[in-house]
Amino acid sequence: MAEEENQFEEFEQIDFLRDRHVRFFQRTLQVLPERYASLETTRLSILFFALSGLDVLDALEVVDSKVMIEWIYSQQVLPTQDKSNLNRGGFRGSAHIGIPYSTKGPGVLHPYDSGHVAMTYTGLCSLLILGDDLSRVNKEAVLAGLKVLQLEDGSFYAVPEGSENDIRFIYCAASICYMLDDWSGMDIQKAIDYIRGSLSYDNAFGQGAGRESHGGWTYCAIASLCLMGRLDEALSPRELNRIRRWCIMRQQSGFHGRPNKPVDTCYSFWVGATLELLDVFQFTHFEKNRSFILSTQDRLVGGFAKWPDSHPDPLHAYLGLCGLSLIGEPDLKKVHPALNITQRAFQHLQQLQQTWRDNAGSCVGQQ
Amino acid sequence: MSTVEEPSSEPLGVKEQKELDAEVGDHFGDNYGADPTRYILYRDRKEWADLEPVPQDDGPNPVVKIAYSDKFADVYDYFRALLKKDEKSERAFALTADAIDLNAANYTVWHYRRVLLQALSKDLREEMKYITNIIEEQPKNYQVWHHRRMVVEWLNDPSAELQFIADVLSQDAKNYHAWQHRQWVIQEYKLWDNELDFVENLLDEDVRNNSAWNQRHFVISHTTGFSDPAIVQREIQYCLNQIRKAPHNESAWNYLKGMLQDRGLSSQPGLLEKILELKETHCSPYLLAFLFDCYEDALESSFQKENLEQEHKETLKKALEICELLAQEKDTIRKEYWQFLGRSLKNKYGGDGPSNEETKPADTQEAS
Repeated sequence: MAEEENQFEEFEQIDFLRDRHVRFFQRTLQVLPERYASLETTRLSILFFALSGLDVLDALEVVDSKVMIEWIYSQQVLPTQDKSNLNRGGFRGSAHIGIPYSTKGPGVLHPYDSGHVAMTYTGLCSLLILGDDLSRVNKEAVLAGLKVLQLEDGSFYAVPEGSENDIRFIYCAASICYMLDDWSGMDIQKAIDYIRGSLSYDNAFGQGAGRESHGGWTYCAIASLCLMGRLDEALSPRELNRIRRWCIMRQQSGFHGRPNKPVDTCYSFWVGATLELLDVFQFTHFEKNRSFILSTQDRLVGGFAKWPDSHPDPLHAYLGLCGLSLIGEPDLKKVHPALNITQRAFQHLQQLQQTWRDNAGSCVGQQ
Repeated sequence: MSTVEEPSSEPLGVKEQKELDAEVGDHFGDNYGADPTRYILYRDRKEWADLEPVPQDDGPNPVVKIAYSDKFADVYDYFRALLKKDEKSERAFALTADAIDLNAANYTVWHYRRVLLQALSKDLREEMKYITNIIEEQPKNYQVWHHRRMVVEWLNDPSAELQFIADVLSQDAKNYHAWQHRQWVIQEYKLWDNELDFVENLLDEDVRNNSAWNQRHFVISHTTGFSDPAIVQREIQYCLNQIRKAPHNESAWNYLKGMLQDRGLSSQPGLLEKILELKETHCSPYLLAFLFDCYEDALESSFQKENLEQEHKETLKKALEICELLAQEKDTIRKEYWQFLGRSLKNKYGGDGPSNEETKPADTQEAS
């Protein structure tokens, strides 16, 4: 007969339905019904949610890594023979444009084919999660494709054809440069200027100057600055304290994204990770956060929804898990709060980067 | 893929249930064209017979595959064919509407539609009507708002925008896309004149609308600015009035603090007294946090100034009392945070000089 304390712990363990979530992500990796059509151009990011989710659950063994890696590389915009499309480099969300499947160059010239900055970011993360060594990533093309996306004001477009431009894509760009260990793809100072310009009167970040501060954009701002290694240079101690205050006030039970809005599971990560990057996540109320996240758990199909009694989706399923991981939920892997991959995947990246540096060093040594 | 029509006895309804992979040779019966309102697949349309459809190639092991109906796949197979040719034609323009109807988030379709709008010199006023309808149906989609912005820029005519955005906001007063578009229009075309009134109306409807408070700050900072003391007084009064009506409103307190924090919260004459009065009847965690911030600001100003030692000690005591009150009673969800702030404040301004105590304690909370 277990002690009272152990019974309580057991109850909490039972409440988190790990296997359901594994199956939820497995189904996501297979086939989605037509009502998910709006996700077509962002399928690579959905793949990322599922893979990273399985990684957090320590369940990557259910995935056929080789198959996944091939599919991801088939989304890379490969340089043509004459390299005329270099500044369209990066990864696609999917093959919706009609490029024939290919993982090897040279690329096919197509008037409308180009990478998408958020797909390049999630594509690289997904490769790392699967243990790939990024050796087939054409870094020259990825960075050239990234460079043309940055505007004068420091923000980024998503695609070279043009799109809305805002702080989300600065985060994607910073993550890409961080992972490739090469900041030639962006003007850091301009990006910092845009980020600072997005700091609102109430001490958090909007999508751009003047806009309402928001948990998601605040995450993009702070995480970008951390990845760039410029947090303390860009923001004063006083500003950082004010930002901490805004963020910590987002907790109502779980977290919401803006004052006077309802709580939503994904903010347990966006705001939680920001607080972690600012060293004050430890002062949040773990129990209430956990209770809210679990109230959005779908006990039947697995995954998490934004609200209780709503349909789960891959984004909320993944970020719900990350939210739980931040508070130390047992058996969930730790997540790197700025890069949004597990610490395990992050260590793999660090080893890769060391190899790259060593190789670069040995080349110099031979001269 | 064969484009030759063959008679088929299968009715339309059954077709919709079929396997997601488009089957070569699926055709309608020979009563093609008899009912002009019946949907005809592109591959069965005579005027498209010259074009070879391009299926989506997900490779041998697709991941996160979306199961498209025949109708959906057919439209996009022809969209891909048009893209490949970079065809600039009326039929291409018409197809983009079908493609958008099926997936309004496909940014390539929107881009291609804009290319065609220019290449074919299409009527942009008609396009405004079109995009207006789409946004009303899907107001939280990035692509549709971006498209609208492009058309407004081409027309160089923002005259319909404020009313349109007001309509969208009347359905969801906090729609981030709508507010963003509104700020862009106002700033680009200098439409500031009536915006403060608009904001006040929204705040009358819902004083807790954080987007409206943000817009208030946006308008004032770009027009009169906050340097004029008369403006600041007016805004302080406005905030306090709204707080009296709805005390538990973080937006109003954030606005008040945001406006004053860089001048020094404690240096605004008479404000502290008003807040202390409100504390008795209209208390909230936000009021107490504001008080704490006032005291902290005062401590910073009076730090190590000889003739202010006693005042400094009293202010510190009051600030620490506020922390305790918040932690124990008024904002217990943030108990750890308020206690941390109290410790930090004591360390920094404590009368006995800085102690050896860590201002960032080790984890004080166990994971559940």
